[in-house]
Amino acid sequence: MDKEQYLEEIKRNVVLGHADKEDEGFDGDMEGTPGVSELVQEALDNGVEAKLILERMSSGMETVGGKFESGEYLIPDMLAAAECVGAATEILEPHLLKEGVERKGRFVMATVEGDLHDIGKNIVITMLKGDGYEVRDLGVGVDAADIVTAVKESGAQYLGLSALLTTTMVHMKDVLDLLEKEGLRDKVKVLIGGAPTSEEFAKKIGADAHCRDAFEAVHVLRDFSAKAA
Amino acid sequence: MSRGTKIPRYRYLTDEQCRLLHEGTCGLLEQVGIDVAHQGAARLLLDAGANERAGRVCIPRHMVDAAIAGTAKRIELAAKDPESTVVLDPDNGPLVHFGTGGQALTVLEYVAGAFDKRPARTEDLAAILRLCENLEHVDFITRPVEPDVAEHEMDLVKTRVFMENTTRHMNLANLVRVENLPAILDMVGDRGRVSFISCLLVSPLHMVDETTEKFMRIVEAGVPVAVSSCCQAGTTAPLSETGAIMQVNAEVLSAIVLGNMVRPGAKLLHRGLPITADLYGDGSPRWCQPDSIRRLACMADLTCYYGIPCCGTAGVSDEPVPSAQTIAEKALGITAELAAGAQFVNSALGLLDRIMTVCPEQYVIDNTIISLAKKHLTAGNRYDLVECAESVVRDSLAAFGAPFDDDDAVETAARAAYVVSAREDISSKSIDTQIETIGKAVCTGQSSTAFMRAARKGLRAGLLYNGSRLESAIDLERLHGAYEMHRNQRSDVCAE
Repeated sequence: MDKEQYLEEIKRNVVLGHADKEDEGFDGDMEGTPGVSELVQEALDNGVEAKLILERMSSGMETVGGKFESGEYLIPDMLAAAECVGAATEILEPHLLKEGVERKGRFVMATVEGDLHDIGKNIVITMLKGDGYEVRDLGVGVDAADIVTAVKESGAQYLGLSALLTTTMVHMKDVLDLLEKEGLRDKVKVLIGGAPTSEEFAKKIGADAHCRDAFEAVHVLRDFSAKAA
Repeated sequence: MSRGTKIPRYRYLTDEQCRLLHEGTCGLLEQVGIDVAHQGAARLLLDAGANERAGRVCIPRHMVDAAIAGTAKRIELAAKDPESTVVLDPDNGPLVHFGTGGQALTVLEYVAGAFDKRPARTEDLAAILRLCENLEHVDFITRPVEPDVAEHEMDLVKTRVFMENTTRHMNLANLVRVENLPAILDMVGDRGRVSFISCLLVSPLHMVDETTEKFMRIVEAGVPVAVSSCCQAGTTAPLSETGAIMQVNAEVLSAIVLGNMVRPGAKLLHRGLPITADLYGDGSPRWCQPDSIRRLACMADLTCYYGIPCCGTAGVSDEPVPSAQTIAEKALGITAELAAGAQFVNSALGLLDRIMTVCPEQYVIDNTIISLAKKHLTAGNRYDLVECAESVVRDSLAAFGAPFDDDDAVETAARAAYVVSAREDISSKSIDTQIETIGKAVCTGQSSTAFMRAARKGLRAGLLYNGSRLESAIDLERLHGAYEMHRNQRSDVCAE
């Protein structure tokens, strides 16, 4: 394959959510054929620039977004495509560094203290990785001190907090208070989400944004980046 | 004398399919195992012969079979009114009982021809219990809403409200604080009048720490407890019906093994809820769509196969307010679960909005639906489940003034047909595939995305029902009038 053929094949596999040889892809019949991870490695081995691969994968994700909005794709399709990009970006990482290409930003994500739910958090993480962010997942039931320490250590520009229970969403405020106390509040944008949370609640506790779902989180981050630029 | 209704069981699964599902469940417990967070529970299981593998507790088949053989098969749940005793005895009958349930956060209040939503309060709990005293088809009470008091007071306030407002069996559902158990039992006096639900399993295959401690103390005290596990197939379990049932069954059986080690012959109800996730939308649970209704009924069937008392669930509408669609969902769910022979069907009355909301008027609707389901399933010696379900939907809508046109009839028939139709072959091969899928997912640390990725093929093969809604309007004034009539009956029944 020449450079353009690699890039198009990578994009096609992103759109079909075909991560690797073991994955069955969009229609369930792609197992055994090279997926995004194998194609990316092969393209790099054949001298294709990491930056170009990243750009073509982003183009693939735009196609996926359009299909999702039109109803042709459902959440698992969108998520599978984002996972392909997330996994491929890890392969590209050292090459991007060499080429001087920076990631879109660093994001720390956690489900707050007392709450063990992780579906929403994991979907957000997958989507953000797929959109080019470096994401550190702190897991579930994480207390405020550990979250703030992770923000400090990683120098993250963004923090995502998730909660599914009315009894645990109150701990989001603990995190914001601790960020303030540690002098970090103006260095990190805080996004919150989860079934019982709302825009009003975000305002009440002083978060920067409330996201109804993972797709809104991606849009909110794009807005933040556009305003910062 | 027991409350309850005897119905000839409709078999959603054959005995051979139940046997295969049991094989698969044992395979999961042996090969993938449970992530047990409670150290004491893990030690108990390991000392009894379970194996530790990659930090997970793998339970061999002989332990599972011994627990199934040894756990209580007949459980009698007493009530203040002896006529309201509930006997769970799957091998003899079985009698099906319906009750309330949920942990709703909000209540709908009928104001000037519409419903207003507000946070649930302690007085709502009392009012719902008193209303249910006047509803013939409420056989027991599972806590519908929690009292709005400080966390450390919730257990005792809830128990007091139950004691003062119901003559039925008191299923308090969750124990908020383990240290409150002795005080609850002191307050109740006769321990036979109270039972709990313990959600100690989180899908996939994780036994949590704090709830496990509560579960073990309840079992130790000899109090009946329903072991509950609820997945969302497609996000926390395979979308496959076979895979989701096996996984949830493995979760519940792991706790039944543990419970019988804490107290041999423990009074445990099997409450496995292998419902689906809304992969057409935002991934929320689908409680009352035909795919979930079918899976709940299959699980009741499997539980009857074991002869373990079954705590089923039916009639939790996904809709936010009482409507024709709400009635259609509940009528199908309740009819299917009644036919399945689940003996202790909770959450069957009042619940809306995926267990987030209760509505006093909805209790009256659901009481009527249960009445009609019983009527149609007992009308002759034999029944056609699809025809009966259609009749229950049509008659329930008529009872609350909702028209039922040809489109509604087509949609209702399609939903009912979906519930009785198997979409997957259950075979040794398909079971091995599901064990592999679950094993891979739990090892990734991102099981939800792994399950979703694996769900794509099943989604296109119709494993989630995709139909239309019933849009006709119900007569809200008539409904509210019926509610007022029931509310004002026999208000002094609970006075000592």
